Amino acid sequence: MRKLVIAVTAALIAAAALSLPGCFSKGRQSVVVYVSEDQVFSEPILKDFERETGITVKPVFDTEEAKSTGVMNRLLAEKNNPQADVYWANEPIRAEVLKQENVAAPYQSPSAEGILAEFKDPQGFWTGFSARARLLIVNQSVTDKPKSITAYGDPGFNGKTVIANPLFGTTTTEIAALFILWGDEKAKTFLTDMKGNNVKIATSNGESADFVAAGQFAFSLVDSDDAANRIKQGKPVEMIYPDQGDNEVGCFIVPNAVVLIKNGPHPEAAKKLIDYLLSAETERKLALSDAAQIPLHQGVETPAIVRKIETIKTMKTDYAAVARKMREIEPLLKQWVGL
Amino acid sequence: MRARRVTLSATLLLLAILGLAPIVVMFARSLSVDGAFSFENYRHLLATGRSWQLLSNSIGLALATTLISTLVGLPLGLLVAKTDLPLRRVFVLLFALPLVIPPYITAVSWVDMLSPHGLASNSFSEATSRKLSGLLFGFPGCVLVLASTFMPAVMLATMTFTRTINPRLEEAARLSARPLRVLRGIVVPLIRPGVLLAATLVFLLSLGEFGVPIFLRYQVFAVESFTQFTVSYNFAAATASAVPLALLTFVVLGVEWFVLHEKIQALQPTGQGGDTYVIPLRSNRVWLFALVSVLCALVVITPLFSLVMQAGSWQTYLRALRVVSDSLMRSVFLAAVGATALTALGFFVGYMIHTRAFSIWRAVDAGTVLLFALPGTVIGMGLIALWNHPETNLIYATPLIILLGYLAQYTALTGRVTVAGLTFIPASMEEAAASAGASWPRRIGAIVLPLVKNALVAGWLIAYIFCLRDTGITMLVYPPGYDTLPVRIFTLMANGAPSLIAAACVLMIAATVLPLIGVALLMRTQRR
Repeated sequence: MRKLVIAVTAALIAAAALSLPGCFSKGRQSVVVYVSEDQVFSEPILKDFERETGITVKPVFDTEEAKSTGVMNRLLAEKNNPQADVYWANEPIRAEVLKQENVAAPYQSPSAEGILAEFKDPQGFWTGFSARARLLIVNQSVTDKPKSITAYGDPGFNGKTVIANPLFGTTTTEIAALFILWGDEKAKTFLTDMKGNNVKIATSNGESADFVAAGQFAFSLVDSDDAANRIKQGKPVEMIYPDQGDNEVGCFIVPNAVVLIKNGPHPEAAKKLIDYLLSAETERKLALSDAAQIPLHQGVETPAIVRKIETIKTMKTDYAAVARKMREIEPLLKQWVGL
Repeated sequence: MRARRVTLSATLLLLAILGLAPIVVMFARSLSVDGAFSFENYRHLLATGRSWQLLSNSIGLALATTLISTLVGLPLGLLVAKTDLPLRRVFVLLFALPLVIPPYITAVSWVDMLSPHGLASNSFSEATSRKLSGLLFGFPGCVLVLASTFMPAVMLATMTFTRTINPRLEEAARLSARPLRVLRGIVVPLIRPGVLLAATLVFLLSLGEFGVPIFLRYQVFAVESFTQFTVSYNFAAATASAVPLALLTFVVLGVEWFVLHEKIQALQPTGQGGDTYVIPLRSNRVWLFALVSVLCALVVITPLFSLVMQAGSWQTYLRALRVVSDSLMRSVFLAAVGATALTALGFFVGYMIHTRAFSIWRAVDAGTVLLFALPGTVIGMGLIALWNHPETNLIYATPLIILLGYLAQYTALTGRVTVAGLTFIPASMEEAAASAGASWPRRIGAIVLPLVKNALVAGWLIAYIFCLRDTGITMLVYPPGYDTLPVRIFTLMANGAPSLIAAACVLMIAATVLPLIGVALLMRTQRR
């Protein structure tokens, strides 16, 4: 029995030494990053950063169940006791909320040069990189392909469309952007028409894409990575960048955003990580990975399935205004969903 | 006597700080709107139809799970404990397996099997496959997973409590009655309190379960509490959402106390060792064996097979090990340390309850059980509210916060196991040692601890399993860089490869089961 206790204790000490970061790395620089981008895409980038700089990264990842807002809310909860140095958001709205809540600090990274101004906070509280586009995934069996998001109200698609729950994620963001771009009346009419056309509400963009891939619905508005993944899997779908005509609103772009946390414990290491994330090389890696994200630096190598940002007509978006609008329209969206 | 009073008072104080304080802080926050005292959060909770829907969903899920677990677990327990069913020991081990596997892993395995692109999709038409998937994501799927997870608890309770029946009673009844009538007329009525206790436990565990409903997208209060915090960042609403569960738990525990407590106390082992009355199945052996085998294949083998098939080749396991090895080792380490701390705390709590050392022993017992039954997310939020300050970063910013969470939620387990162990020690032994002048620490070290050793080992194993599988607390409070394997499995679910997730789940099962096998082998060797 005594031998077993000794063996178990030794094993536990070994496990502690190997698994508890910081136990045997005293003096090594470290940086704490909270991440809303999916772990499978973000972790390899953070590991590369560790390897290249020797700075230990201590991450906290979000879960899909928390609708990728769990770590942002943790940052808000830790406002007076910050544990994080950097926040890697998977959309700029969360970064904008942190700016408005006085959790973010300004930082103009030299790596951000070359990224269009519309994807950066003018005061440097957040900077966008590697984006998703909001586009239509369409089943190949559909003969008359939709070209605009307004096809949701087209009687020809009655009962044949699906959209992710607009109370969460990028769907909420895009609807809020439309409220700003079109004005309240036109945006409300769009929602009413969509509902009148018997749109199905799915739990997520991924589920919407699966429904379309399985032929249960004609099309859905999803993130470009959801569509790209179904195409890579050989599903009978295609992606259409909506509203690309001269007089049309363009395609809504959702960049990742990186934020320096105010009074974070490791500000210098944090800036190095931000510079790294905003580099063209990181954008190239994210474009070539299964994330299939669109680089915001021009001229970065991309696979065929990822269009270059300069070839897309993008929707003019004030992300700060969108962040404010999202809170305003939440009751309306809840009512629309039926809660 | 002074050492005893000081030690047990310190235990009480520790329990208050660990368990009570986070909940009190949370409750206080829920009564505040913009800094002023208000019942607004509760008024809002009562005013919305959604709350009643959530309550109905939570109770419905817990009731259905309890009903199925009891209807299946009771006869199964009787079959393996009281009959000559072939391979009954193997069946016991197999059926007990889902109880030690985290329930959300069972959910993952069923999704791997029944989703439209799952392993079984080729066996059904597309329409049937979609229908099955639709059923899995919702109430039926949650009931399937939770009932297969918790049914073994009823089975094991049935087996345990049948040992409390004096075999002479059954033998006497057999003189004039058939075996089935003896079971119905003697055995079942005698073990009914024990089975009802197990059913109560299943009800409470199902009520507070968070991982399975959130994964299978079924809205219950435990999930609502989590999303109110993580999605809406509404501490107060999250707490208010937890209060109906806490009240319900309180009522159920109250009923359990008044209706079952004395009867459970009366159920003690007969002391006649393995001398139990066995019913020969005769011609029924074959079809009952087939029935139990089919059930075993459905609720145990199928989910495991699904995970192993989804994981595929050994290269996937190597890849999974590379991705999750840090988290796996952290999980094992934290669970082992947590279980050790829980065993120590549980021993003193159990001793306090058993000896009725303080007049509030009933409150201590009920309080620990109430904390155990609360959703882990609520305790997690309480820990954040209490410890998230620059002055307490030694706790908040280190794995200590996870350990405190374990101690808050799972002390009831080790406490109750200790009480069960202490019941077998005659009070006269400690009294005699005291009369001979032995101090209290010496009596504990020389008499009590050696005699409850087996109960403490059992308590440690149970605590290890619960700490290892914890998601509710850990997901909310884990410090940067300290994620555990269950948390990593959840974060990998966002766009992670299903084969990788399945392999990580298999590793999680191995980390849970291997220590149990190790201890079982060790105890067998010692017995020889």
